[in-house]
Amino acid sequence: MDIDSCTRKAVSSSPSEKIHLRPMTLSDIDDFMVWATDINVTRFCTWEPYTSQEAGIGYINSFVLPHPWLRAICLDDDRAIGSISVTPVDSIRGEIGYVIGSKYWGKGIATEAVRLVAAEIFKEKPEMERLEALVDVDNIGSQKVLEKVGFVREGVMRKFMCLKGNVRDMVMFSFLPSDSLL
Amino acid sequence: MEMDSNETQPTVVVSSPPGRISLRPMTLADVDDYMVWATDAEVARFCSWEPCTSREEAIKYISDSVLTHPWLRAICLEDDRPIGYILIMAVDDIRKEIGYVLARKYWGKGFATEAVRLVTAEIFKEMPEIERLEALVDVDNVGSQRVLEKVGFTREGVMRNFIIMKGSVRDMVMFSFLPSDPLK
Repeated sequence: MDIDSCTRKAVSSSPSEKIHLRPMTLSDIDDFMVWATDINVTRFCTWEPYTSQEAGIGYINSFVLPHPWLRAICLDDDRAIGSISVTPVDSIRGEIGYVIGSKYWGKGIATEAVRLVAAEIFKEKPEMERLEALVDVDNIGSQKVLEKVGFVREGVMRKFMCLKGNVRDMVMFSFLPSDSLL
Repeated sequence: MEMDSNETQPTVVVSSPPGRISLRPMTLADVDDYMVWATDAEVARFCSWEPCTSREEAIKYISDSVLTHPWLRAICLEDDRPIGYILIMAVDDIRKEIGYVLARKYWGKGFATEAVRLVTAEIFKEMPEIERLEALVDVDNVGSQRVLEKVGFTREGVMRNFIIMKGSVRDMVMFSFLPSDPLK
């Protein structure tokens, strides 16, 4: 390819910084609070920004540690900049969810994290027939993440979910074991 | 609609006016009419249940699952005998799912469409908390997809590998109807 005709996408397909996934622990509390207190980050989440470290510790204890599949998204220094999880919906469906600190948006990090999970999760959970994601119609950034990984945009589910007191339209995406990662 | 007497009847749902139907609660007295559709493998094809094999089984099913259902109505012709039923299930606080089954003899006459239209016209008044009435239809169940389209449901998309039906993982078409949508 002629170098001059290369176009650089705003969000690169390989992140500028390498990421890895690992279990999250209570020692991640300070890093957790960075994204969990950020109203830009929580905009499309079902939860409000955290306001105390105590509440953050409570969340890690009651939700993170017992979660069937949740990983911290880490840069080279092994510090968490977000998290990604796969939650069973039923015996064959799992739902992927992810959150990244806003300082790290636009670098392809979420895309890489979702790609890593989509590449491995069906080996770990062979009973899973469908990995799905529900994204607010207005959350364009997150929709682009899934499209770049190769998820199929199945359609807009109207008035599907209550988010902070408002009933929202959600875009449904899926990735099957037989699908190809992009 | 004019038809050459040598031609076979069309299997598509015709637009001729349906017979009048009414909806009412089902009772144990409906067991024999219930068995007409419940024993039919073609009717059961896209349902989660296997065909019923005995009157005792039918009585038990009606007692345990039909009479106890929060919202289920027999679809009746003018003689008040049921030819199927229609039901509403709660998915969560704001979403309800509609389901319906009809005896095969009455397919292709617009009865299911009329029943779905009747329920859709009334259900939001009866349940004002509903924000969304939805239906999930097997990709291969084209007849049922047409019913919903004719009433005015929106076909939102195909959910791949969405449910296990009788041991097979099936793609399902998702439809919805909102309180603000117009009935067709």
